[in-house]
Amino acid sequence: MGILDVPFTRHRLDNGLRVVLSHDPTAPVVAVNLWYGVGSRNEAPGRTGFAHLFEHMMFQGSLHVPKNRHFELVERAGGSLNATTWYDRTNYFETLPSNQLELALWLESDRMGWMVPAMDQEKLDNQREVVKNEKRQRYDNQPYGDWDERLHRMVYPERHPYRHTVIGSMEDLDAATLDDVASFFATYYVPSNAVLTVAGDFDPDRTLRLVEAWFGEIPGGDPIPPLPGEPSLPPLIGDTVRDEVVGDVPLPRVIVGTRIPPYSVDGFAVAEVARSVLGTGRASRLYRRLVRERRVAKDVTTYAFPLLTGAGMLLTWATGYPGSKPEELEAALAGEMEGLADATSDEVERAVAVTETDLVRSLERVGERADLLSMFELYFNDPGRLNTEIDRLRAVTPEQVRGFAAERLGADNRAVLTYIPGDDR
Amino acid sequence: MSTVDRTRAPEPAALRDFSFPEVQRRDLPGGLDLRVARMSRLPVVSAVLFLRAGEATLDETRAGLACLTGDALEGGTRNRSGSDLSEALERVGARMGVATGWEGTSVSLSCLAERFEEALALLAEAVREPAFPEAEVERARSQTLAGIRQRAMDPASLASDVAARMIFAPGVPYARPVAGTVASVEQFGRDHLRGYAGASFLPGDGGFVVVGDVDAGEVADLAGRHFAGWSGSPPGGGDFVVEPSSRERAIHVVDRPGSVQSEIRVGHVGVARSDPDVFSLTVLNTLLGGAFTSRLNLNLRERNGFTYGVRSRFALRSRPGAFEVRTAVGTEATAPAVREIVAELEGLVGGGPTGTEVEAARDYIAGTFPLRQETAGQVAGRISELVVYHLEDDYHDTYRDRIRAVQVEEAHAAARRHVRPAEAQVVIVGDATAVVPALEGLELGPVKVVTPL
Repeated sequence: MGILDVPFTRHRLDNGLRVVLSHDPTAPVVAVNLWYGVGSRNEAPGRTGFAHLFEHMMFQGSLHVPKNRHFELVERAGGSLNATTWYDRTNYFETLPSNQLELALWLESDRMGWMVPAMDQEKLDNQREVVKNEKRQRYDNQPYGDWDERLHRMVYPERHPYRHTVIGSMEDLDAATLDDVASFFATYYVPSNAVLTVAGDFDPDRTLRLVEAWFGEIPGGDPIPPLPGEPSLPPLIGDTVRDEVVGDVPLPRVIVGTRIPPYSVDGFAVAEVARSVLGTGRASRLYRRLVRERRVAKDVTTYAFPLLTGAGMLLTWATGYPGSKPEELEAALAGEMEGLADATSDEVERAVAVTETDLVRSLERVGERADLLSMFELYFNDPGRLNTEIDRLRAVTPEQVRGFAAERLGADNRAVLTYIPGDDR
Repeated sequence: MSTVDRTRAPEPAALRDFSFPEVQRRDLPGGLDLRVARMSRLPVVSAVLFLRAGEATLDETRAGLACLTGDALEGGTRNRSGSDLSEALERVGARMGVATGWEGTSVSLSCLAERFEEALALLAEAVREPAFPEAEVERARSQTLAGIRQRAMDPASLASDVAARMIFAPGVPYARPVAGTVASVEQFGRDHLRGYAGASFLPGDGGFVVVGDVDAGEVADLAGRHFAGWSGSPPGGGDFVVEPSSRERAIHVVDRPGSVQSEIRVGHVGVARSDPDVFSLTVLNTLLGGAFTSRLNLNLRERNGFTYGVRSRFALRSRPGAFEVRTAVGTEATAPAVREIVAELEGLVGGGPTGTEVEAARDYIAGTFPLRQETAGQVAGRISELVVYHLEDDYHDTYRDRIRAVQVEEAHAAARRHVRPAEAQVVIVGDATAVVPALEGLELGPVKVVTPL
């Protein structure tokens, strides 16, 4: 038995809703978590940002639940709740004292089945403004705030579903209509395109009956339409492509985007371990060499986007000091990425050790366990991957990391986005 | 054949009780207060070493020294370089972090339980024998100075820093950014850090909290071994009186031309952690701006669409911290949002909260309490608050009862005592040309365009 042994059972209702139950009565809390197989990659041209706006509308009430009532009831019950939208999916979740489980099942089933009758123009206009303010707060009014949008445009080709980001454009948000809400709901918010996970303290038999009672009568829905645009793309960008922004930023920053294998294939685990050798912790290559020894970077960041369609993306960035030359920062980053071609087994072991601790610690929260079970069920029909994920990482060899560096981290697979403070030019 | 009634919320089942994990306490030689709690569902450990080496004890000329010393702690020990120390920690899968605040320095550690002894040995070595090599000190100082530059261009950080300066009288430590200023940080060198660590990274009045899949007796043995011979107390200080910068409401605008949003802060001096009204204020703040369904959020976000979100809070420190409302709104909504915030504060003081609001807030705070104690790290954080603020041992055991005991009259009385809209300082970081005329039109007080810092 591995270090992880999260229990689970799988079920499927007649309408196609997939259900995962993970019983653990240690604490008197329960998590209800729903993943819908829809995200920004499904957005039609001219409707970027709509999946996320729709997520906001899901909190505006449903046939039997007036506006604000959802939040009032969950907060009053001692629960926390939220939702997030991502490229490949949208999730909704609440964690509650375990005696309030049925409240969450009622709320989630009501909006899965009867959301549209509660929609009106005033609610749409209100949430459109909220989302536009979210975009301003998190992106438009922030130094470097447009990096994500610019990087995606360089790493993914025209017509690829990841070419635009989740937040979308103001123009497209303005164009969204109530008809869009209704048709998006009918197309994507159907039981057969969703996973429901209940984790924590509950009675499994009773809960399965409750899930059937609350969700079973919702009609199943048609198969999901194919993704818009052109989802397939070459494994490499094919060149070094560049974008440069001179403007309102405090420090120079170089951001490198790299196409990597999608989350659905084994190559992603190799990319994840390589990323970790490069950037997890203070003994990692980037921190050690760029921040600590050469002191050319104030901070470094790495992230591997776990995306399903065609290619994921490895993000690597370094922030310089006042007056740093961006060319030197870029050369330093590129040097470390290419240098992974001599990654050692000691480095790989350390990276896996830290990842293992992080993974185990992430399972301390019942909401996080539920979220991961939903993800593995929705993406791979296998919630059990939660328990074996660490073995996938442990299986990665130094040779594979070196091979990954040689194949993927060269100048022929690099999008370089540079920010330069206006007063430096 | 549905058997459910969708027209009303289902009745809750019987509540299963939650108990805060039991804490074992011992005093280690040297004055370190050891507290251990067992949480054994997963094989993990989270530990916090709290040292009373905080920014509030430093005068203005040394502002930022505790933070910088904390940042440079990872720079290595007498026996190991910084990279060697990091490698050793990562080899056992441990993460160590240092967080410095007004009250002290917290060195936190998390790892798998089977590696705790090795990780603890490294933490003890890092704290007890720091070397502060020149290159590492320079790095930490350069990073801090660059970070100050970043804060000055980040509208949210800038608004918070300016609000602190407008709320607290000059000379009150809380008036300045916790990490110090360019002028104070530039002067620090290796000797300052060595001197500060030597005098202040000492166990007296500090605590060591360990939570996770551990045995209290074994932890006591380990801690006794690794902290053996460590003694002494930090020098103390920080005996300041918190005075407001002004008792007259004013609007301070930091011009950020071209901003598409305004960052807004509305605040004044609040209360200390030890204030007897803290529980009433926790309930009051929840219904004002501490939950999604609070008055401020339902007004500014769900009714008016001015913002992505708005929150209020009382910063509870050893001495009175700020009471503050914070939000970011579209530029054209700046004046209307300020008007609504002030009106909500006035309404709270005047009409007071309703019985339903107080009940809902109590239920929310008490009900979500178990959700805030799910991880070893969260519980370690809770327990270290007892050490930091010298709270009673049963504080967390009685917390929910004390929240549930708050009555509507007490919450209203607390509002009248501690929420003072007429004394609020309003800080706006936004496009001055676009927002000043409408702010003046509010007639809430003088509108001044101020320089950042």
